[in-house]
Amino acid sequence: MDTIAQGVTVTKTGETGAFGGELLTINFGPHHPSTHGVLRLIVDLDGEQVRRLKPVIGYLHTGIEKQMEALRWQQGVTVTDRHDYLSPPINNLAYALAVEKLMGVDVPPRANALRVIMSELTRLSSHLVWMGTSGLELGAMSMLMYCFRERDTILDMNEEISGFRMHTSYIRPGGVMADATPRFLEMLDKFCHEMPGHVDEYEALLTNNPIWRSRTIGIGILSPEDAKVLGATGPMLRGSGVAWDLRRSMPYSGYENYDFEIATSDMRDCYGRYLVRIKEMRESVKILRQALDKLPDGPVNVDDRKMLPPPREELETSMEAVIHHFKLFTEGYSVPPGDVYVAVESGRGENGCYIASDGTHKPRRVKFRSASFVNLQVLERMALNHMLADMVAIIGTADTVLGDCDR
Amino acid sequence: MGRNILTTSLGKLVGWGRGNSIWPAQFGLACCAIEMIATATAGVDIARFGSEAFRASPRQSDLMIVSGRVSQKMAPILRTIYDQMPEPKWVISMGACASTGGIFNNYALLQGVDKIVPVDVYIPGCPPRPEDLLNALMILQERIKAQGILPPQ
Amino acid sequence: MISETLIVEKGVSAGDPWVTVESRNVREALSGLKNDGYTLLVFLTCVDHLVDSSRQWPARYEVLYQLRNLETREQIRLRAFIDGEPPRIESVHDLFGPANWEERETYDMFGIVFNNHPELTRILMPDDWVGYPLRRDYPVGGEPVEFSEEHEMWQTAPEKA
Repeated sequence: MDTIAQGVTVTKTGETGAFGGELLTINFGPHHPSTHGVLRLIVDLDGEQVRRLKPVIGYLHTGIEKQMEALRWQQGVTVTDRHDYLSPPINNLAYALAVEKLMGVDVPPRANALRVIMSELTRLSSHLVWMGTSGLELGAMSMLMYCFRERDTILDMNEEISGFRMHTSYIRPGGVMADATPRFLEMLDKFCHEMPGHVDEYEALLTNNPIWRSRTIGIGILSPEDAKVLGATGPMLRGSGVAWDLRRSMPYSGYENYDFEIATSDMRDCYGRYLVRIKEMRESVKILRQALDKLPDGPVNVDDRKMLPPPREELETSMEAVIHHFKLFTEGYSVPPGDVYVAVESGRGENGCYIASDGTHKPRRVKFRSASFVNLQVLERMALNHMLADMVAIIGTADTVLGDCDR
Repeated sequence: MGRNILTTSLGKLVGWGRGNSIWPAQFGLACCAIEMIATATAGVDIARFGSEAFRASPRQSDLMIVSGRVSQKMAPILRTIYDQMPEPKWVISMGACASTGGIFNNYALLQGVDKIVPVDVYIPGCPPRPEDLLNALMILQERIKAQGILPPQ
Repeated sequence: MISETLIVEKGVSAGDPWVTVESRNVREALSGLKNDGYTLLVFLTCVDHLVDSSRQWPARYEVLYQLRNLETREQIRLRAFIDGEPPRIESVHDLFGPANWEERETYDMFGIVFNNHPELTRILMPDDWVGYPLRRDYPVGGEPVEFSEEHEMWQTAPEKA
């Protein structure tokens, strides 16, 4: 036994590797430029090949679940934004759907359509950040510049619709924050028009790029059986050829009304996961176009004064509205006792929210089932017997967000 | 050595050099790190201020941008990285979480990174816009240029 | 399907079906469900029912297993109630792959000991941390917020039942 850092002991048996040398244990992270955040890995190397791998997480543990127990139901939305910080509206959506399911509330069709629009925009921006940073790690520096250009367009749209670039808190229990502005719809129309061309650009840069192909093809193979048994989710699962997408398999927010394909790849390696994400970006644009074309009219919030504040005009004329307003912002609303689990598909996979309510105005327990947490467990299976440098590609294409993993 | 024509002129030159070539450590923590990356891309382009060289090693950098929430588990590591940076060094606390703990007033987070490292510039926002980071960098540059080579009085 | 003799109680909560079993029967019930096609452990967690008056709870800690059948897309939630200090329950890491880390997290946050777990150590908090943060008698912590109406509550744990 050898203690190489505080709390991390590694057994060194003096084993001899296949090349005659001794196994070497090295520490990788938590502050390392290629681990996608503060991930730490303890790696046993034989020459340059990975023989054992142990991820150490928790360096971004934020206490989000505890914090939510101290916040009222409507305040919790702001915290959900920040756990998977690359897809805030999708986190909001999981939380909002769970609260609504417990309360037995259905949101109007326009709210559902706006939720779908925000989810797909977020999925796009999440994949763009993934592609930019993964490209950077494997030596394609220009990808970062291209991807962040389009990501900024999406953030500008976030800003237009919600007033905030990243942590929008746009989707809330009972509907959405505000109706889409006409300018937002114009921007979205323009974006849907331009985005497929941009995806072609990314493909031109990467898909047939010999360096990209040699760094990703055949690297980090995950068989469909392993993926299912180990609970891999999202592009990791679909990259292994399993057609499982919660938007199609267990639809929510009206996804059953949209025409799109589940992106899968039979490559089962890092390149396959890249192809899945590229395909998903194209499908997302298709969904956005459909949602925009048939955006229904009507309210964007449920008509429940106990859940959402009354409109500003009503406050001047109605005493009842003033009372509701006051009650809502001093005490909040209470949710009937019970528990519920709702899962939505984020850019990384199944992003679920489990809520237990004890009937008070604060949650008893909120648990986020995060995609990164399960996908990171699969890492060991994928990285074994690969070169150390290939591990960067494997971590990259697993697309873990450590905020999501550690919560 | 006091303030005289030699030290002030040399100080101006050194300050000019230091201020226009601040190399940040590549130290991303949470949400703000994504905006920090965005600052380095073509849209706002931190290279205009001579700081595009994000160094992967703390030994080669003189600015630490604490971009995001610092957990109790990360705090000792952050301090180690700070200690590994050569003098002179500066710290920008980017975002509400790094500056004060932000909306997370709980057991898991360090309530402000200034508890473990001295901070030169704080940026509000959750996360701040890339322009905010550039603004902080410009404030820091002015301060570095004014400092010269003499230790602060 | 799990045999009726194991089931203590069953019901539906907000559309989600659930069954309760005795904590000593958890492994048997879960392997029965796994053979029945519920092959994916979606998540595993715990709820602390300290000072919870919404109903009569059999014990303080409720350990939950959410399972999913990938073919029929059905889900089921298995509950088991445990008490004691430390509360103990059998590990299921060999039945379901994702359970390994989830059990470590539940141990880290609630102090629930999973018997026969290969490596039951803290996963999110530092190794030398004292206490189990997600228990209801563990204060939220942080710094006092002055002039805040809920200042007291932030700093102190709820009184015992």
